[in-house]
Amino acid sequence: MSEPQGEVFDLRYRHYEGPREGRMRARKAIWINGVRTSLGINRGWGPKTPPILLFIAVMAPAVVISIMAVAAGNLEGLPSHDTYYEIISTLLVIFSAIIAPELLCSDRRDGVINLYLVRPLSPTDYVIGRWLAFLSVTLALAYLGQIVLFTGFVLAAEEPANYLRDNWLNVPRFLLAGLVVAIFTTTIPLTVSAFTTRRAYAAAFVIGLFIISVPVAGILTLCEEGRQLPIEPCRPPTGESAKWFALISLPDVPIHVNDLIFPEENSSEFAQLVAKLPSIIPITWYLLLTIGPGFVLWRRYSSISI
Amino acid sequence: MPYILEAKALTKHYGTSIALESVDFQINDGITGLLGPNGAGKSTTIKLFLGLIRPTSGSAEVFSKRPYESVESRSLLGYMPEHNCLPSSVTAAEFLTHMAQVSGIPPAHARTRAADILRHVGLNEERYRSIGEYSTGMKQRVKLAQALVHDPLIVLLDEPTAGLDPGGREEMLALVKRTGREFGISILLSSHFMGDVESICDRIIVLEGGCITKDGDVSLFTQETKTLDIDVDDHIEELLAALSKRSIAAIMDGLSVVVETESEEQYDAIRDAIVESGARLRRLAPRRHKLNDIFRMAPNE
Repeated sequence: MSEPQGEVFDLRYRHYEGPREGRMRARKAIWINGVRTSLGINRGWGPKTPPILLFIAVMAPAVVISIMAVAAGNLEGLPSHDTYYEIISTLLVIFSAIIAPELLCSDRRDGVINLYLVRPLSPTDYVIGRWLAFLSVTLALAYLGQIVLFTGFVLAAEEPANYLRDNWLNVPRFLLAGLVVAIFTTTIPLTVSAFTTRRAYAAAFVIGLFIISVPVAGILTLCEEGRQLPIEPCRPPTGESAKWFALISLPDVPIHVNDLIFPEENSSEFAQLVAKLPSIIPITWYLLLTIGPGFVLWRRYSSISI
Repeated sequence: MPYILEAKALTKHYGTSIALESVDFQINDGITGLLGPNGAGKSTTIKLFLGLIRPTSGSAEVFSKRPYESVESRSLLGYMPEHNCLPSSVTAAEFLTHMAQVSGIPPAHARTRAADILRHVGLNEERYRSIGEYSTGMKQRVKLAQALVHDPLIVLLDEPTAGLDPGGREEMLALVKRTGREFGISILLSSHFMGDVESICDRIIVLEGGCITKDGDVSLFTQETKTLDIDVDDHIEELLAALSKRSIAAIMDGLSVVVETESEEQYDAIRDAIVESGARLRRLAPRRHKLNDIFRMAPNE
C-alpha cells in the first residue's frame, strides 16, 4: 500500500465548543484593551508616539535626580519622594489629558460602544473597566518614577543598608500618595472625555481647566491680601480666605493630600496656605473632586442609549 | 424546548408614541425576515431582544431569558448594526480576537475563532490590514464576522446590505444565506429592502405601525394570484375581441394580456378564445404575489 500523498483538511464551519468565561472575561478584556490602547500597543507609530514621548517626559525628572544623586554621592539639596509628585503633577495631567480621551471618545465616535453593550457586559462594567485600565497606566507611571528615585538614592547612599533601614517608610508613603495622584489624574480626564467624541476637545478642555485654575487661585489669594496687581516682589498672602482660595489650584489638589502623607514640610506657596486648614479639608476637597466626577462618569454611561 | 426568541405581548411606548403594541411571535431555526417601512418598530424589536431597552409591558426572551435582566444571556446573541461600528486603526484579526474575548471566550481560543471566522467571511488574506483601509463591502463582512465570532445561537442583522453596491449586496446576501444554511446559526434579518428578504428568508414577519400585519413562510407571500398573464406572439387584437365575446374583461400590461379570473371554468373559455383568435401562445400562467405588494408605499430600492 502506498504512502498517502496528501491530506484533506475540513474547512467547514465548526461550532465553538471551548470554554466560555462570561462576564468576568468580558470585564478583563475591556481592561486589557484599555491598557493597550493607552500605550498604543499593537498600533502604528501615530497612536504610539504620544504615550512614548509623554512617558519619557514624566520619567525624566526621576532619572535626572537619580543620576545627580549617584554622581554627587549624596542627597543634599535634591528633591526627594515627598516632592516628586509635585514635580511631575503637571506632566501627569498633560499625559492624562492627551491619552485618556483615546479610551472613551474613540469607542463612541467609531460606534464600537454599540458592539460592547450587546455583549455580556453592562455599561457599568465597561466604564469601570476603562477607568481601571487608565488608572493602571497612571499608577504605573507614578510608581515607576518613585522606584527609580528610590533605587538611585540607595545607590547614592554611603551605606545603602542604613539608607534602607532609615527610609523604608517612604515606600508605603509613595505607594499611597501615588494612588491618590493617579486616581485624581484618571477620573477628571475620563469624565470630560465622556461628553465628547473628539479627543482634541477633551484634551484641550482638561489642560485648559487645570492650567487656568492655577493663576485663578494665585490671583484670588493675592487679592485677598489687598495688594495691587502685578504682584512683584511676591510675598506669601496672609488673608483669612487665601488658604481657601489656594484649594482652587487643581494640579495641587492631590499634592495637598500627598503633603499629609509625607512628614516633610512643603515650602510651596499654596501648600503653606492649605497647611493652615484642618487636615480634613484638603482630604474632603480631594474626595469631592474624585468621587463627584466619578459619579458623573458612571451616570453618563449608565444612561447611554445606542 | 424553549424558543430561541420569543415575544410575548411585547409592547414599547416612547412617551405618547407607540413603537410596538402587543406583539407576539416565536423564532427558532432558519432565516427570518423582519420587514417593514421606516418607523414600523423593527429597530425597537431588535433593541428589546438585545436587552438595550426594557419593554413597557410584555417580554422579549432569548432562550427563556430576558436579556435586559440577565446580561449573561447576551452571549447567546450576535448583533450586526446598520451603522458604522468598527475602529479604523486596528487590524480585523485583532479586533475580532478582542470582541471574542468580550463575549467571554479565553484569549487563546479567541485568536483561533477570529482567524476561522475571517476565513469564512472571505477576509483571510486581508486580516492583518487596518480596518480603516477596507472597502465598504469588506467592512460589512467584518461587521458580520464580529457578530459570529462567539458562535451565537442567533444573529440579529440590522439592514446588512445598507450602503452596498449591487455586486456587494449580492455577495453579502449570499454570505448571510450561507451563515443560516451551512453554519446552522439562526438569523433575524431586519430590512426594508424587500428583495433582500424575499431572496434569502424562510419566514417573514411584517411590522407596520408597531403591529404584526403578516407572518408566515415566504411562499405564502409569493403564492399565486387570480391574475392571469397571457403572452402571445401575434393577433393580440383578435385575442382581445375573442375574450370580450366571452364576457371576459382583459387589459394590456406591457406585452401581456392580463385577465382577472373569477373561477377555474374561465380557463376553458380563455383557451377557446386563444384558439379562435389564431394567436401563437407563448405563456399562460397565473401571477404570483410580490413582497412589494405588501406595502402601499413604493419600496426604497
